[in-house]
Amino acid sequence: MTPTYMYAITRHLTKRQVDSIRGVAGSIVRVLDGDGMSCLVSTVQLEEFGEDALRRNLEDLSWLERTAREHDDVVRAGARLTATVPLRLATLCTDDRSAQQHLEEFGDAARQALAKIDGHDEWGVKVFADSQLSVFDGSEPVAVTGTSYLQQRRQHLQRREYSTSQALREAEEIFESLANLATDARRHRPHDRRLTGDERPMVLNAAYLVERRRTAAFRSAVDVLANSASGVTAVLTGPWPAYSFTPEPEI
Amino acid sequence: MTASVDVRANVTETSLVDLLDRLLGVGVVVAGDLTISLAGVDLVTVKLRALICTVRESA
Repeated sequence: MTPTYMYAITRHLTKRQVDSIRGVAGSIVRVLDGDGMSCLVSTVQLEEFGEDALRRNLEDLSWLERTAREHDDVVRAGARLTATVPLRLATLCTDDRSAQQHLEEFGDAARQALAKIDGHDEWGVKVFADSQLSVFDGSEPVAVTGTSYLQQRRQHLQRREYSTSQALREAEEIFESLANLATDARRHRPHDRRLTGDERPMVLNAAYLVERRRTAAFRSAVDVLANSASGVTAVLTGPWPAYSFTPEPEI
Repeated sequence: MTASVDVRANVTETSLVDLLDRLLGVGVVVAGDLTISLAGVDLVTVKLRALICTVRESA
């Protein structure tokens, strides 16, 4: 058995259009056709992508990073050619026949998703609560008596909390106003500080599906909002393939 | 371009965590298990705790 790795479902593509695309682990990307759509796939080895191997490899950060970037490269290559619905990392079928079956089962959802994301890009907006926090962090109480120390300490923590909830409110406003400029929007879980390595807490990690002709308007809106909102910093990422707007297949 | 929006982010290398947010579909969490589908075959559970520790070290 040689598993078939599925990268994305696209509008119809020819064999020729994809013949220079390389997939995960150096594999060669092919198209499977079904129902007027194509699926970008490649054949991978059981030794690397079988269930046991995958379980092990997904916990190996260098393997995960390499595979994630190779997967992303294929999806981006598809998205440059035509409307592309990305599939999750390590979407595997036992063989091409099984992949084809899944493509057919997923057909209606995929067709709707293709229509929705056609002419769109995904943009990421991460919002961090600003440095007021670290200012307070730096001004530790200096009182000498126990009671006034605790009093100051409490005020210090209250200010911190206030500032975080204020930042969360700002982030929510940013989320909503940018959503008005997008076809769709969703939130990812904000990254933990241990992941960002940034002492400022992330208060929003959003993804927007933006029509390409509205890209400039969207970007300048991020710019304006980030400036008008006090106490937060916005970071824009993208353009991304429409990863965050892929319908979940029913398993 | 302003100081508060890092518009350079779209030309510099994509951060792994941002990519995994999207490729894993559930967001990267600090604790808990992640289920990845092996379409029609099986389910693989990944212990994300170990993964996150490594992401941190390499950041």
